[in-house]
Amino acid sequence: MTLVGIAWRNIRQRLLTSGLTALSLALGVALVVATLVTGRLVNQAFESGSGLGYNMIVGAKGSPLQLVLNSVYFISRPIENIPWAFYQQFLPAAERADGLDGTYAASTKTAVPICMGDYYRSYRVVGTNAAFFDRLTRGDGRPFAFATGKNFRDDDFFGGVLGAAVAANLGLAVGDEFAPTHGADDGAVHDPFIVRGILARTDTPIDRGVFVNMEGFYLQDGHAKPLPEGEAAAPEAALATPAAGHVPLPFNQREVTAILLETASLPGLPAELTAMGLRTAINEGRDGQAALPVAEIRQLLDLFVKPLELLLLLVTALVVLVSAIGILVSMVGSSLERSRDVAIMRALGARRSHVLTTVLIEAILLAVGGGLAGWVLGHALVGAIGPWITTNAGVTASLFSAAPVAEALLVPFLVVLAIVAALLPAIAAYRTDVAKWL
Amino acid sequence: MTAPVIELRNVQKAFVAPGGERVPVLDIDAFTLGVGEQCALEGQSGSGKSTLLHVISGIMRPDAGSVCVGGHDISRFDEARRDRVRADTLGLVFQQFNLLPGFTALENVLVAMSFGSARPDRKRAADLLGAVGLTHRLDHKPAELSIGQQQRVAVARALANQPRAVLADEPTASIDAAHQQQVIDLLRETCRAEGAALLVVTHAPEVAGQFPRRLKLEDFNRAARGGPRAT
Repeated sequence: MTLVGIAWRNIRQRLLTSGLTALSLALGVALVVATLVTGRLVNQAFESGSGLGYNMIVGAKGSPLQLVLNSVYFISRPIENIPWAFYQQFLPAAERADGLDGTYAASTKTAVPICMGDYYRSYRVVGTNAAFFDRLTRGDGRPFAFATGKNFRDDDFFGGVLGAAVAANLGLAVGDEFAPTHGADDGAVHDPFIVRGILARTDTPIDRGVFVNMEGFYLQDGHAKPLPEGEAAAPEAALATPAAGHVPLPFNQREVTAILLETASLPGLPAELTAMGLRTAINEGRDGQAALPVAEIRQLLDLFVKPLELLLLLVTALVVLVSAIGILVSMVGSSLERSRDVAIMRALGARRSHVLTTVLIEAILLAVGGGLAGWVLGHALVGAIGPWITTNAGVTASLFSAAPVAEALLVPFLVVLAIVAALLPAIAAYRTDVAKWL
Repeated sequence: MTAPVIELRNVQKAFVAPGGERVPVLDIDAFTLGVGEQCALEGQSGSGKSTLLHVISGIMRPDAGSVCVGGHDISRFDEARRDRVRADTLGLVFQQFNLLPGFTALENVLVAMSFGSARPDRKRAADLLGAVGLTHRLDHKPAELSIGQQQRVAVARALANQPRAVLADEPTASIDAAHQQQVIDLLRETCRAEGAALLVVTHAPEVAGQFPRRLKLEDFNRAARGGPRAT
C-alpha cells in the first residue's frame, strides 16, 4: 500500500470525524467562493458601464457619483432636473428650433436626454428618445439588439421598450400596455404606454429598465414644469411630428434629468482634451455638472466596493481558518487512537518520516476533498441565487460564473493551511513511543 | 558454517526509574538464533522478554553490545536503518495481534509490505492469507473476524516480507487454551514453509515445551536474575 492509500484508510476509519471536518471546511470554502464570485460580478456590473457609447453625463449640480448611479445603474435618486434650454446647448443647428448650434454642440457627438421619476411595478421608467437605442451601445460596445419587436419611433409618443429582465419577470410582450406610476409604486397612475420592443439580454442595468418615449412621458400629470406667472407656453413645441391626437409639451415647460453625452473632437484637439475642456466649461457654469461615469465608478470601487469586498473576504478567510483549526482539533482528538496504529506501523518497519508523511497526507486529502466540495458548493450557491443577482444587479450570475485567479489559488492555500494545522499531530505521531504502545 | 540470523553479544539495556535510579533489564553475554531454527524463550513477567524482542527488532537500541540481524549489526545503525532492517528481515507477532482496525485482512498484510525494499504484492498477500485458511476473509476487517482468525492474519502479516526470522511476543497469552495449540502449530508450520526462523517468547511452559530449543531467559540474562554482571 502506498502512504496515500494508508492515509485514505485512516480517513475512512474515522469516517464521522473526518466527514464533519471536511464538511466544515467545505462550508467555509463555499462561502469564500461565493464571496469571490459575487465580488467579481459586482465589479463587472459597475465596469460594464465603460462601453455604453457615451463618456460623459450632464445633470443637475450635486454629487457626480449620484448622477452616475442614477443615470447608468438606475439606483439612487435623481439629484434634480436641468432645464430643456440647457439640454439644447448640446444640439446642433439641425436639431434646434432656432436653427443655431448650441453652445456645446461642436464638442458633442451624441446627446441623449433621459427623464426619470416614474416607476412601473418597482422598475425604473426612463423617458428618452429613439436615439437611446439607435446611437448608444449596450455596455460592451455592441449595439442594442431586440429579442422581439423594435425600437419606438420619436413620433410614437406612447411607445415603450422593455429591458429583458423586466419583460421576463412581468410577463409582458410586444403589444401589451403598461401604465407607469408617478414617483413611486403607489403613486398616481399615468396613461398607458405600448410595448414596441423587448431588448435582448445585455447583462447590464438596461435589462431592468422600462424605456418610454419622453414625448409621452412629458404629457403625464406632474411632468410639466409650471410656468412662471405671466410667461406663455413656447409656441415652437415638438421635436418630431406630433402624434395623432397629442400635442407635444411646450419647450419652456420641459426639463430633463440628465444628458448622456458622447463627446466629439474639436478640430486640432484630441478627444480626451475636448472632453476635459467641455467638462470644465459645464462645471464652471451654473446650469449643471458633468460627470465621467468611468472615473466615478472607478472611484466608487476603490473607495467603497473593494474595501468592503476585502472585509468580506477577510471574514470568510477567518471561516476557512476556523475550519483548518477544525482539522487540527480533529486530528489531535484522534491522536490517542492514532498512537497505537502508528506504533503498529512502526513495528512493521515504518520509519518516523513515513508516519509523519501519512498524517500530513491525511490532512491534505481532507483539505483537498473539503476544498473541492466547497468549491462546487460555492458555485452551486451562486448558481442558485444567480437569477436573483441577474434580476437585481443586471449581470449574469450562474453556476459557471467564476473568479478564476482567486479560485485557482484557493485549494493550494488550503493545502498549505492544512499542512500547518496538521504539523502538531504529525509531530506527535513522529514522536510516538513504539515500545509504550505495543 | 552458516551465520546465525540473530546474534547478540554482550548486550546491556537499562531503564532509568522515575527516581533517577538505573534499572538493568538486559545483561546478555551471547544469544544466537540459527537459520530456520525454532526456539522458545521462557521468562516470567518482568524478566525482560519484551525488551529483548524490542532490542532484537531494532525498536530499541542496546546501551552496550552488538545485535546482528541478518548479518547487520543494527546496534550501530541509526533508527531509520534499523527500521529498514526490521521491515526487510523480521516479522513480528504480538500478544494482542495488533491488527490495524480500519484495514481489511488483506490490507493489514499489504501494509507490512509497504515499508521494506520489496514492493507491495497483492497476490503474495492473498496467498499468505490463503495459506492460513483465510481466503474467504480477505476483505473482512479485524472486528469482523474471530480471535483465531485475527491471529492468523497476524501470522500472515509477519511473513509478508519473506523475513529471515519471526519474533512472536506471547502469541498465546490472550487466547483460550483451545486456540493456543492452533496458533503455535500455525506459527511453526508457516515459518517452516517460508524458511523463516522462529523465536517465541512465552511464560507458558506448555508452549515452550513444544519447541526443539527451549531457553529460560533467567539462565542467560543476568539482569533477570538480579545478580552482578560477570567480568
